[in-house]
Amino acid sequence: MTPLVLGGAVRPGHAIGARVALDLGRLEGSWLDPELEARVQAARVRRARRWAPIDALGAATPAEWTLAASLHDLFQAANPAFDAGLRRSAAARILELARETIERVPTPADVSQALSRHTWFARILDIARTDTTVSWWIGSHTYLGVDPPRRLQAWPELRRVSVAAAPHALLELAPLAVDRSRLSDAMALLLTRTPLTELATCTREAPAFTFSQAALALVSTRTGRTLALRALAGLPPAEVDAALGRATRDLLATRRAEGAPAVTLLAERTLAQVAGHAARPQGSARGPAEAFARGLGAVAAVSLLEASREGWTPDERQRLLVALEPGARSDDAREARALLGVPA
Amino acid sequence: MLERIALHQTRLHTPGLGLDAKGVALGAKGLILLPSIDRLVALLAVYTRERSLEDLMPSLAMRVAKSKLGTREITLEFAAESSDRMDRLAETARLVGGFTFTGTARHFVQYRDSAAPFGYDATELLPTDAALALYHDHFSQTYDLERTIELRSLVLRLMPRLDPSTKLEPGMRIVVAEQGLGPALVHYFVRSRVEGDVGVAEWPPASAFDDAPVRRWIFRVPELPVRMRALMYETPGITCFVPAGPGVAVEVGHRHPVELRACPVFDAAGLVLVRAGGHEPWTLERLPPMGALTAFARVELRTVGPEASAASATSQPGAVRVPLRMAPSTTPWRKVTATWIEPAQIPLLRRLAYALPHATIAQARMAMTDRGAFVRSSAGIEAIPLGTFFVEVHPNLFVPAGHEVTPAVAPDVLSRALAAPDGQVLFLGTDARAVAVAEVAFAPMEAALLEAPPWEPLVAEAIDRLLEEGTLDLKVTPIGMLPLRGVDAPAEEAPSKERA
Repeated sequence: MTPLVLGGAVRPGHAIGARVALDLGRLEGSWLDPELEARVQAARVRRARRWAPIDALGAATPAEWTLAASLHDLFQAANPAFDAGLRRSAAARILELARETIERVPTPADVSQALSRHTWFARILDIARTDTTVSWWIGSHTYLGVDPPRRLQAWPELRRVSVAAAPHALLELAPLAVDRSRLSDAMALLLTRTPLTELATCTREAPAFTFSQAALALVSTRTGRTLALRALAGLPPAEVDAALGRATRDLLATRRAEGAPAVTLLAERTLAQVAGHAARPQGSARGPAEAFARGLGAVAAVSLLEASREGWTPDERQRLLVALEPGARSDDAREARALLGVPA
Repeated sequence: MLERIALHQTRLHTPGLGLDAKGVALGAKGLILLPSIDRLVALLAVYTRERSLEDLMPSLAMRVAKSKLGTREITLEFAAESSDRMDRLAETARLVGGFTFTGTARHFVQYRDSAAPFGYDATELLPTDAALALYHDHFSQTYDLERTIELRSLVLRLMPRLDPSTKLEPGMRIVVAEQGLGPALVHYFVRSRVEGDVGVAEWPPASAFDDAPVRRWIFRVPELPVRMRALMYETPGITCFVPAGPGVAVEVGHRHPVELRACPVFDAAGLVLVRAGGHEPWTLERLPPMGALTAFARVELRTVGPEASAASATSQPGAVRVPLRMAPSTTPWRKVTATWIEPAQIPLLRRLAYALPHATIAQARMAMTDRGAFVRSSAGIEAIPLGTFFVEVHPNLFVPAGHEVTPAVAPDVLSRALAAPDGQVLFLGTDARAVAVAEVAFAPMEAALLEAPPWEPLVAEAIDRLLEEGTLDLKVTPIGMLPLRGVDAPAEEAPSKERA
């Protein structure tokens, strides 16, 4: 788990399996290297203090150990060595067991647990395998996730050696012995177990962001919503609008009864932008999802302002309403009203 | 008997004859055969006109040789050394009618000429016991040596010939006066402000009838005035000589046939005076002690009055002291390098400090006293327009600009009168009162001016290093032979108690 926090090389070993992964959390023990443990804890606190004023974090919980083991197996299932006859089934088995393991890990019980898990898994989507292609005057070879031998790079001018290294994220790896969609689903499932990470990476390309139960549970609380807003503030506003708009529209279309926390999140985010506390996207919306998020945010923010009379002076309220009015009158806002059941 | 030496010929018959680097036949010696003594003198005269005999002297030998027929001729032997030297001497000998030979011991062959560029070789040698055997394309002759001619005696025996132009040559003159004329000539030179040295030399008596040596006064006059030359040249008993080389001089109006400067046969510590008219030269082995002409001036003694008048008592002059005053002056200001800023103007100085350029602050030095601030700047203090400007009239002594001290004594005298100890800088005010500031109290203004704010170390760099997060690089590892070994499905019960 150290590289997840401190960075560096991630070297998956032999597959762990579901039973061992679930038993990892029950083992009592401590870090072998106290200094390394101190560095990891300091890095986790630094990560947490970006959004919350806390000074200490506990050691890894059993659920975090299990999630880390599952993540390990996900990476091992993507090992290109499995892409051979009689071995692909082994990779599928490892992937399936990892998925079952993640399913058995409970979602965070409170915001502090969500924050703790985020400090471990905040960068899991940053993990990338570097594939290096070495070409020389009579041939070339690609080395997947390993350093090319130095002998192939000798006499670069004489042999006209060219080395091209390209990083590939987990879901972009090739060749892959398992079904890519299943791997993506497993990763999405893992993200649902760390909802703050799920929200903080909502602009990712894959797996696409959707409001999971855990994420909705997190933003349904005042503290969780604050953390989520702070997490979203560090991302490009337009991309966040697009991701939240798409996820909220799907949520309202399929699980409308559960969509209130997401709408409130959008409303408070829009209010923060209008009040000048958060960055606003520049220019007009570049897609329907982004426009929907803006319209829904404006409608919900107006509703929020009208519903809560306290906390705002009349002038501030009026100023905010004036600023929200263009967004609240857009076509996308009308669609949002229809979805929310709010009269025009 | 002679044959021309061909190009690249290596074998020669004449003993002691060899080929130099140019292929020219050359022996260890060169020999010039001259028919008479006057040709020898002519040879020396021509050669010394452009060159010195100094390099020839160690090996130069002049002899009278007698042939079997009884004729006497002159031989001049010298070390051949190189064909260049031989060429020069051969050309000179050809000019005066002499023949040039080269060889080593006894047999000398004709030196090269235009007909034989590489010289000659004697195919048959004369069977002889004579001292010299000379082989020429016109003759071959043997000679016996009769006597040797010394160059010095030859030069001294040669009579100088008339040359009035030497009378007009500038430079030193050596005047020899008979004994009776010496003192008078000394006084004449002293009266005429002629500088020079004088000494007395003695020669043996001219004949057995004289019992006393002959004494003559010798004057060495560096620059004889033109008006005196005729007197020196024409007065009987006075002989004037013109230096012709180190240790030798020729009587004025004459010139020696041989250039004596090219003949290193005279000792520079002695003196040879070559006289005209067939008289023998006067020679001095060592120059007599010479004294300045002024030392021989006539002296007169006072015969009347006391020997000396001694003072009865001595005392210092009485002091006439007046108080120092400062008076306004219209002289332009120079070296305005200090200012005296009174305490009331210190706040103004503080405000001005923000506007002063760096160069001014860097060059200025300031001392803070209870009478105010004293600021000095060697480059000029005008850039700090505060206080009373001072001019440095003497090191560490300042007077107000636009004022001068009265009485108008020199700054050095003023400094001594104030008697300021070392390390004190004196400022004279307009009321003529002086204040002294210790020189060590002057500190760089930029150090005295700034009240440094408290500071705290920044650790941004350390924080950056600490916060740096490395990239996450997924490495591929071997999966082993049994990648599913130990990979088991989960147990039925839920292992974790964490449940939302």
